[in-house]
Amino acid sequence: MNIENLTQLTQFQVDDQPHIVVNKEICQTCDHRACVRACPANCYTFNEETKLLSVVYETCLECGTCYVLCDKGALEWGYPRGGYGVCYRLT
Amino acid sequence: MAKFFDVIIVGAGPAGSLAAIKLARAGRNVVMVERGKYPGAKNMFGGLVHHTPVLNEMLPDFWDRAPLERHVYKKVLAFMTPQSAVSLTFENENFDKPPYNGYTVFRPAFDSWLADEAVKAGALLLCDCTAEDIIKENGRVAGVTVKGREGELRGKIVIAADGVLSFLAKKAGLRQDFKASNMGVGIKLLLGLPEATINERFHLVRDQGADISFLGAAGDIRGGGFLYTNRESVSIGLVVHLDSLQSSGKTPYDTLNDFLQHPSVKKLIKGSTPLEYSAHLIPEGGFSALPPLYTDGLMLAGDAAGLCYTNGINLEGINLAMTSGVLAAGTAIEALEANDFTARTLSLYKKKLETSFVMKDMKTFKNAAGMMRLERLFQTYPQVLAGVMEKMYRADGVPRSKLLRLARKEALQEVGLKNLIADGFRIGRALL
Repeated sequence: MNIENLTQLTQFQVDDQPHIVVNKEICQTCDHRACVRACPANCYTFNEETKLLSVVYETCLECGTCYVLCDKGALEWGYPRGGYGVCYRLT
Repeated sequence: MAKFFDVIIVGAGPAGSLAAIKLARAGRNVVMVERGKYPGAKNMFGGLVHHTPVLNEMLPDFWDRAPLERHVYKKVLAFMTPQSAVSLTFENENFDKPPYNGYTVFRPAFDSWLADEAVKAGALLLCDCTAEDIIKENGRVAGVTVKGREGELRGKIVIAADGVLSFLAKKAGLRQDFKASNMGVGIKLLLGLPEATINERFHLVRDQGADISFLGAAGDIRGGGFLYTNRESVSIGLVVHLDSLQSSGKTPYDTLNDFLQHPSVKKLIKGSTPLEYSAHLIPEGGFSALPPLYTDGLMLAGDAAGLCYTNGINLEGINLAMTSGVLAAGTAIEALEANDFTARTLSLYKKKLETSFVMKDMKTFKNAAGMMRLERLFQTYPQVLAGVMEKMYRADGVPRSKLLRLARKEALQEVGLKNLIADGFRIGRALL
């Protein structure tokens, strides 16, 4: 199954306030950008042309993999406001 | 709403809810603060609630009333190479009668049920509340601020059962940064299958369940796979070390897809319907990575305290969490009686943990975390094992060797004598 189909299986209560903010300047100079490949929900994309890192917080599973792997201090990462974010039904 | 409590419990997971039950039954004014819409909405695990004596003590009939899927009757340990699987199956009649050795559950259902038991006992449950920061008074923790339903909650003691990424532990100064080398990430796919198909495929009857651990299922990443049978679904996934995932440059979902395509796995899940995808971090640093467990006015319980371990055979966390929750609550009751919430009084919590199986098991397997970082454990050794098995069985007209000679040759060829001795020492220290 591809990752788009995988995250569609999961339910989210999307907040209008993002719970992840990336510092695009720091990310431009990052030597690994581990978040892009390690995120289980494929939330991060690095655009090779614009050299900009972007994040889709709407399908974030709130696991914190990116937060732990980012050693550049480029992520403002916190849990969403109460009631928002991923909402597992089964699992 | 009373905004002042004897005890504030952050996180209505298994640790938090059991702590709340114990405190509420002791007549204490206790609140659980949960960031999900309901308890369990943010929680994910492989699938198995181990037999936990404190759960039976607090809720003696829980197995009759809780939303359980299957009791685990069959344990399988499988060593995987890309082409083969060598597995050891253990079926035991003693695991087929109460008290069962463990149950597969769905966390949103199980955690909600457990929190509801705490509410019935008199605890207050506040969902939709993310604890954001701690409030300090006279140098000790005296409450938390929440966002979602905005506000402040104040209390005499805070029990932080807020999970593996315990920001409260960090804010209280009990944790520094979370290290990738101490973390695993679990990713899981829930796959629907008819009950009869599961029973046939896994050779189960009635409510019997199977728990399969796959060593070496994640390619060149240190990690393993798991499969648990529920009533009408299977939970299947991988746990990989974060640092190893990073250095592999692979994505977790591609690695999961490869695992699901393995010939011995593919047929187990054939024809299934994907139901839900989830991911969660796991504290895997073991005993040596444990943070201080208390400070003035605050105790850590469950994953927030890092109480979780794996030694390749046992993967335990939820039972340690529930036990630590009860012990933290017991400490809180004594502190409330003495009206003393200093670290000195709360140090009793650590003593209680040390005399229970929780800290004893963490200590017994303190070298296992290091062993689990041995790359060869996940690729080379499963290959050696599979190589020996293949040569043992293959009939091709080539004269056979005796078993020991075969194993020695295979191991020396794949691993080398020096590595074999070093690994033997490391594995021995961890497990023997």
